[in-house]
Amino acid sequence: MTTTTKTTINVVDRDGQRRGVEWEPGQSLMETLRDNDFPILASCGGTASCATCHVFLDKAVVDTLGPRSSDELELLEEQEAYDPETSRLSCQVERCESLDGITVTIAPEED
Amino acid sequence: MSEEAIVIVGAGHAGVQAAVRLHELEWPGRILIVEEQAGDTYERPPLSKEFLKAGAGEDVAPLRKEQYFADKGIERVTGSVAAIDRSARRVVLADGTALEYARLILAPGSSARSLKVPGGDLEGVHLLKTRDDARALRTALHPGARVVIVGAGYIGLEVAAAAAALGCDTTVLEFMDRVMSRVTSEPVSRFFEQVHASHGTRFVFGAAVTELRGEGRVEEVITADGATYPADVVVAGIGVVPRQELAAAAGLAVRDGILVDLDSRTSDPDVYAAGDATRLVDQQHGIDRRLESIQSAQAQAVNAANSIMGQPSARHEVPWFWTVQHGVRLQTAGLRLPEDEIVLRGDPASGKFAVLYLREGRLAAIDTVGSLADFISGKKLVAAGAALDPDLASDPAVKLSATVQEPVAQTR
Repeated sequence: MTTTTKTTINVVDRDGQRRGVEWEPGQSLMETLRDNDFPILASCGGTASCATCHVFLDKAVVDTLGPRSSDELELLEEQEAYDPETSRLSCQVERCESLDGITVTIAPEED
Repeated sequence: MSEEAIVIVGAGHAGVQAAVRLHELEWPGRILIVEEQAGDTYERPPLSKEFLKAGAGEDVAPLRKEQYFADKGIERVTGSVAAIDRSARRVVLADGTALEYARLILAPGSSARSLKVPGGDLEGVHLLKTRDDARALRTALHPGARVVIVGAGYIGLEVAAAAAALGCDTTVLEFMDRVMSRVTSEPVSRFFEQVHASHGTRFVFGAAVTELRGEGRVEEVITADGATYPADVVVAGIGVVPRQELAAAAGLAVRDGILVDLDSRTSDPDVYAAGDATRLVDQQHGIDRRLESIQSAQAQAVNAANSIMGQPSARHEVPWFWTVQHGVRLQTAGLRLPEDEIVLRGDPASGKFAVLYLREGRLAAIDTVGSLADFISGKKLVAAGAALDPDLASDPAVKLSATVQEPVAQTR
């Protein structure tokens, strides 16, 4: 288990402001962002149904996370800001030790 | 000024969202959520889905972790509200506690409609609304149990899927002639009926339940045609009733829901309401509707907070809904009308298709099955009021956005 180690991430908000937050055990990335007051709507509650928790991670980080589910990909591909190399739905990213220190950029709001 | 409180009644999706938004907008006074039971702030959708599956955890995810509320200074009070005293601007709890408010936000939600027939309250008859309901139902759904579900709406069908997967002998009794008739069209109904039938669930349409019988606990369900269905467990999935009693008793305008405007304001300018308990009425836009939708509940909550803080009302997102049955996901955007023109996009037999609802040529709503790309793109087109070429749109190989056939009209 990784629960004893602290995981801190750097989050870049839509206005370009950067802030470090702690990613607590048992939370998805979406929950961490939401609970730290970032503008993550997550209307579906984290079930990969709505794409309102879209973020960008570094490509190297995305590569370590394993493949995206077909549902997640379908949702992402319809986003105007979609980037095949760096886009993720944050509700589908679970905490793990290797993610300490990563930068997470909140994707622009879409209709 | 700084001690002025906003009291929020209800700790579901709407109530919590209102508190979160008020915190974001830096309301200078107190923010209090009144919850009926301690720990009411949990996700509702899993109760009829993941929570009923074999091996599901003991609890559902909270809407926010406990520490969140403490960190943000959002107070929580446990108790049921006995009365709203608008002249004194306070809420009185059952234990006599009085909470004074500068503004009040009502988010009491809805309650599941119970079976109003003889025997409707026998032991073994379940409703599904709260986490306690879900726990009780989960305990009852053991392999081999004869489960009769009354009502083939979202909840009834989600329970049917869970029951069948758990090895229950599952029968669904539905008054109308197809499943989900209130929310979708024939092709989608027939598709989901087949999905359930392939997992062994039986359907009886045109079934009007007249009585439940049993010695102490339910043993059989009787329908108007005299048929008898043996049952160990009965689940009523026959809709919800908005919890408007407190509002009505306080003299607020209600009509199958607490009446609110686009800013979520009730007939009292200091009292707002959001979520399943409300009916949104806006004559200018021809809106008069009560929705059972998380996204709508959250949007109403945000608008209540915005209005309190003098911020403009947020744009109303296209209402959307989802259900998952036997792993098959139906997502709907927009509100269909029975008279809309229907365009079938893709072959239901493939398990991946959509139904488009055109009104005067424009996309008014879309149902998607196993096709999230069409859902996202369809939702945008509904919001834009886009006119689609029906022939082109019926071909799933053509991207939905490429079937728009005239300049997109502006809507609010």
